[in-house]
Amino acid sequence: MISQNSFIPGALKSLLEWRVWLYLGLQDVKARFRRSAIGPLWILINLAMMVLGAGVVYGVLLKQPMAEFLPYLTCGLIVWGFLVSSFVEGGYAFVGSEGYIKQFSFPKQIYLFRVLVSLFVVMLVGVVALAGTLLFFDRFNPMGWLYALPGVGILLIAGLGHITLSAYLSARFRDLPHALTGIFQVLFFVTPIMFPVTMLKDRGLDFVYKYNPLYYLVDVIRFPILEGTFAVKQDYMFCAAYLSLLWLVCLVLASKMDKKVVYML
Amino acid sequence: MSDISVVLRDASVVFTGRTDLVGRIRNTILRRPAASNTQEYTINALSNVNLSITRGERVGLIGLNGAGKSTLLKVMARIYPTTSGSAQTSGHVCPMFEFATGFEMNQSGWDNIKIRALLLGLKPREIKDKMQEIAEFSELGEFLNYPVRTYSAGMFIRLAFSVSTAINPEVLLLDEVMGAGDINFAHKAQERMKKFMTQGKILVFSSHSPDLVSDFCERTIWLEKGKIRMDGKTDQVLKAYSENYSASV
Repeated sequence: MISQNSFIPGALKSLLEWRVWLYLGLQDVKARFRRSAIGPLWILINLAMMVLGAGVVYGVLLKQPMAEFLPYLTCGLIVWGFLVSSFVEGGYAFVGSEGYIKQFSFPKQIYLFRVLVSLFVVMLVGVVALAGTLLFFDRFNPMGWLYALPGVGILLIAGLGHITLSAYLSARFRDLPHALTGIFQVLFFVTPIMFPVTMLKDRGLDFVYKYNPLYYLVDVIRFPILEGTFAVKQDYMFCAAYLSLLWLVCLVLASKMDKKVVYML
Repeated sequence: MSDISVVLRDASVVFTGRTDLVGRIRNTILRRPAASNTQEYTINALSNVNLSITRGERVGLIGLNGAGKSTLLKVMARIYPTTSGSAQTSGHVCPMFEFATGFEMNQSGWDNIKIRALLLGLKPREIKDKMQEIAEFSELGEFLNYPVRTYSAGMFIRLAFSVSTAINPEVLLLDEVMGAGDINFAHKAQERMKKFMTQGKILVFSSHSPDLVSDFCERTIWLEKGKIRMDGKTDQVLKAYSENYSASV
């Protein structure tokens, strides 16, 4: 008999098939740059242009010391890019794998992991730029990178949750990825990426980041790398609360929709 | 460990959907009566299908277009969950359906072989061992080095067929793929298919060719409008099938 809930068994089975999704995810990254001359270097170039262009202007506007502001901005942008993609590209996890889903008997959750792999690889390329920036300003602290590891774990679990949520909902509502692109453009300006948190605090605008889970997901990685120590305890607690809520919603939604998804493609 | 089998009990598949959501909203706002082409639709692709296929059986599926042959195969492949009733397939499934989709267009033939083989459940080591044999059977030669978007329809079929038949399937499900490719390849493909079927596992395939069905299957299921019209010995079912449709002409 078919069990009532096909999402959880499917997800567990997919996890064991790591070879398949790891390969598919890596192929996606390769395919994205296949016919370009410098390939993944574009990730670095685009990041560098953003950091130099926006960084210098905003740094001056906001009267920030460059040695602090540029690494802050670089790190924030990398994590932000991952978060946005987890929602937007997650929306195409099932829609884009339709040909496979309708042809092979694999649990479709492997296509969620597939997206996570390619997003993570893109983020790792950005990390090279971050290391370069930190070395340039002589602020590279290896211990800080170790302290950031729990944050990376949190980010991956959150990213998989975003992908799951977006993949199921977008199979039903194809407008979602487009809407999310716009929403995240707005969120970018209310999340401390382009400006330091202290500026909000000084002006009594704490609420802008205090109730913004995206800020905490960024900070548990950015703070350790820049300051060489763990982020404040509340950050981790807030992340844990967010992850629990996110995955609760994911489990309910995915379990409900799992059997219907193939008919929506 | 359950033996290899396919069992369906009261299995039904209902497709539901809406045509033109935007048009409907516009009609609501403008208070126009909804046109009949913007309604919800339901299609009973399969209705209360009961069947049981056991190890060693080769079953043909016949029926007109839209009778539910492909849907039934996808239910057996665990791709379509039943909307009511149950379907259970025990054993490693090898589905061979629409060969025109499921390719990474910008990647080479070799990459696509590897991806398809992984999705069919082969381990990377097995793929390495079989890669050369798959490539040779496909006769694609140097085309394997090119991105598959340069392939012709027939070449896609060669590639997909070569990969799918290189594995050792327990339950082989085929949808209208026999006689694929040009004359040469179709002949080779048939030889290869015959080899498969002597392995004493389950084969289910849909076809519009009575000759193929009677060559390969001792049992045939005739589907009509999502229901089983007849399920029995191939010669009897084929006879009834052709009589039914020649009488109506």
